[in-house]
Amino acid sequence: MYKTLFKHYWLQSVRSPSYYKNLIVNIFAGLMALYFISILVMLGLVLPKLLQEIAPQSNPADIFNGSIIYAMLALLLIRYVMQPLSRLNIESYQVLPVKRDTLVNYLLIKPLLNPLNYLVFCFVIPFVITGIYPTFGIVSSFRFLFITIFLIWFNTLMALLLKRKFSNIFIGTLALLTIVAGLAALEYFKIFSLFSMSQDIFGFLIQTPFVWFSVIFMSLLSFLLNKLFFAHNYYPESFERKSKKRESGTQQFTFMERFGKIGEFITLEMKLVLRHKRTKSTLYTALFFLLYGLIFYPNPIYNESAGWLLFVAIFVTGTGMLMFGQWIINWDGSHFDFLMTRNIDTHTYIRANYTLMLALCIVSFIATTPYFLFGRQIIIYHLVAFVYNAGVNIYVYLFAATLNTKRLELSKGSSMNMQGVSYKNFLVMVPLLVIPITLIKVFELFSAINIALIIISLFGIVGILFREQLLRVIEKQFLRRKYALCKGFRKKE
Amino acid sequence: MQDYSNSSKKYTNRPFPIITAANLKKTYGGVTVLNIPSIHIRHGESFGLVGNNGAGKTTFFRLILDLIEATTGEVQVDGNTVAHRDDWKSKVGSFLDESFLIDFLTPEEYFDFTAKLYNKSEGDISTFLESMKDFFNGEILGSGKLIRDLSKGNQKKTGIAAALISHPKILILDEPFTALDPTSQIRLKKMLNELKTLGNMTMLISSHDLNHVTEVCDRIVVLEKGLIVKDILTSENTLKELESYFAV
Repeated sequence: MYKTLFKHYWLQSVRSPSYYKNLIVNIFAGLMALYFISILVMLGLVLPKLLQEIAPQSNPADIFNGSIIYAMLALLLIRYVMQPLSRLNIESYQVLPVKRDTLVNYLLIKPLLNPLNYLVFCFVIPFVITGIYPTFGIVSSFRFLFITIFLIWFNTLMALLLKRKFSNIFIGTLALLTIVAGLAALEYFKIFSLFSMSQDIFGFLIQTPFVWFSVIFMSLLSFLLNKLFFAHNYYPESFERKSKKRESGTQQFTFMERFGKIGEFITLEMKLVLRHKRTKSTLYTALFFLLYGLIFYPNPIYNESAGWLLFVAIFVTGTGMLMFGQWIINWDGSHFDFLMTRNIDTHTYIRANYTLMLALCIVSFIATTPYFLFGRQIIIYHLVAFVYNAGVNIYVYLFAATLNTKRLELSKGSSMNMQGVSYKNFLVMVPLLVIPITLIKVFELFSAINIALIIISLFGIVGILFREQLLRVIEKQFLRRKYALCKGFRKKE
Repeated sequence: MQDYSNSSKKYTNRPFPIITAANLKKTYGGVTVLNIPSIHIRHGESFGLVGNNGAGKTTFFRLILDLIEATTGEVQVDGNTVAHRDDWKSKVGSFLDESFLIDFLTPEEYFDFTAKLYNKSEGDISTFLESMKDFFNGEILGSGKLIRDLSKGNQKKTGIAAALISHPKILILDEPFTALDPTSQIRLKKMLNELKTLGNMTMLISSHDLNHVTEVCDRIVVLEKGLIVKDILTSENTLKELESYFAV
């Protein structure tokens, strides 16, 4: 039975339309993955050296052991937010003569097979080679690797359990964050050190065969806890749709009414964002990306390179628009026929989408004003990027939206979800990032960055000034593409 | 089998046509799924469309609603072409399938949003919802559920009601009776008959249920493989005629 179930799982992932239809997207995703993997490998290789530089008196393994519990908590948090619950198609098996136990075991083991889980090894293996092997030898190194596997299992299963038990992700995340922050505070004020506890535990364990017993016990325990949970909550409705009843949140949006149909439309899109899993997690990710500048701006390697600065500025000041803009029009796919037959003319529809994008653009720009504290240079770059986003990228996105006819499944999955993404999403990046960055790079050679910045902002200003004309072009394009969009959105994947 | 072009002459003394289609053809990859040389639907007419799966009923409705592009020919509503235009939208209420619903809204929000697009006031909306009370049978409003969490039947009721909320001149419903419980089917029929007689609404209704469609519609068109094979005024013999036609 297990064999059949896992075979179905395999077939399901191999036959999912996006798997083979979407070669170019997969190549891009692959490149991204390669990028992250190489970063992880590099990090693993240099970390022991880095640790030695930061804390020369202690050896890398000790520091690593000390941070294991923290790392696990952090990973648990990430998993809790990002890991999808596996429950697909279980109903079609529930009615067949398959033992409950088998199904539950299948549900629990399935996420352990996800290759993403083992991405950590890209970091751990190089780390073990450079950090553990030289001091502790081959046996401990292997022990270390196997321990990691069990810890991954423990973490995955615990995340699932937490997710099933506390289905309100937002509150759950807050609670977990509070716990982590609390522990960090205790650590900081030297009241209780989880670090040294972790160091003692894993430092001791790693030297003894006892370690096997404890990590296997942990994985088993998490597995059994999950099973216990299922024993009481076997039926999907008991944990999947806890919040079926929802108060309609119209009151919160009433201020939009004064903007007429466009206001109504924007209200609708706000509800769309807040009531779908995928868009909600994108919203959280967007909040996270707003902080992206903190990595780059204080770092002299980047803040002396005009190309990097412009890239980060465009990205950060346009976060909202760039994240949601890629879905504009497409995310109306599930009710597109409705919109096309109601009393909302094309002009208003395009205008409403434009206004929404502009609002997102302005909101992200305002949200990133604290970066102005990094100095005059950043202020200039942010202003240029804002004008470029509002004057060029906004139209590029709207235009590109008419080309992507794939129906987005908003209620499914969240992070790393490539459903409904096509190569066109990447094509957008050319005018979006490549053109301005190439421009500034070229002018940098002649040390005339300012001229490049002026040209880029002129693009933006022209775009803002000729708004009506540009929107009319997009309207025409939309009307040309309308039937293709209708047809595409009717196809469910 | 009766030639539709002869039978349509019967209507010449009736009011002006509100929907006309000429030389209307839709082809998918060389296969013609709909071919209507000419059809006129008069103002105030209740027009029933029957036919087996794949006969072209939904295709015809989608062409009227400008959701697909005709291969040749065109549809006109009130004398204006529908393709690439917006002006017909204020006159037509429609519900074909779930993509006419906005499933992440509650029914109240959905009605509200739809009505606002037709510039209806809060008062208009509550009057309308009050009139729908029987049809909703106390299950749709005030439950706090999102449309995606409603049963298929209740989703259908929500969609039909939203099609009516603007008091359209023309109403287009695809299979309105399927998924409804018997009580609701009867209530819907009553409601449609009232709208026809009191509101003088033009209705286009497709159905697989010959009983229902003959009760509601005064003209019935049978489609087969994209062609109009029957076009009859409803009389007491219509049901028999249709039943014998489909009993193959």
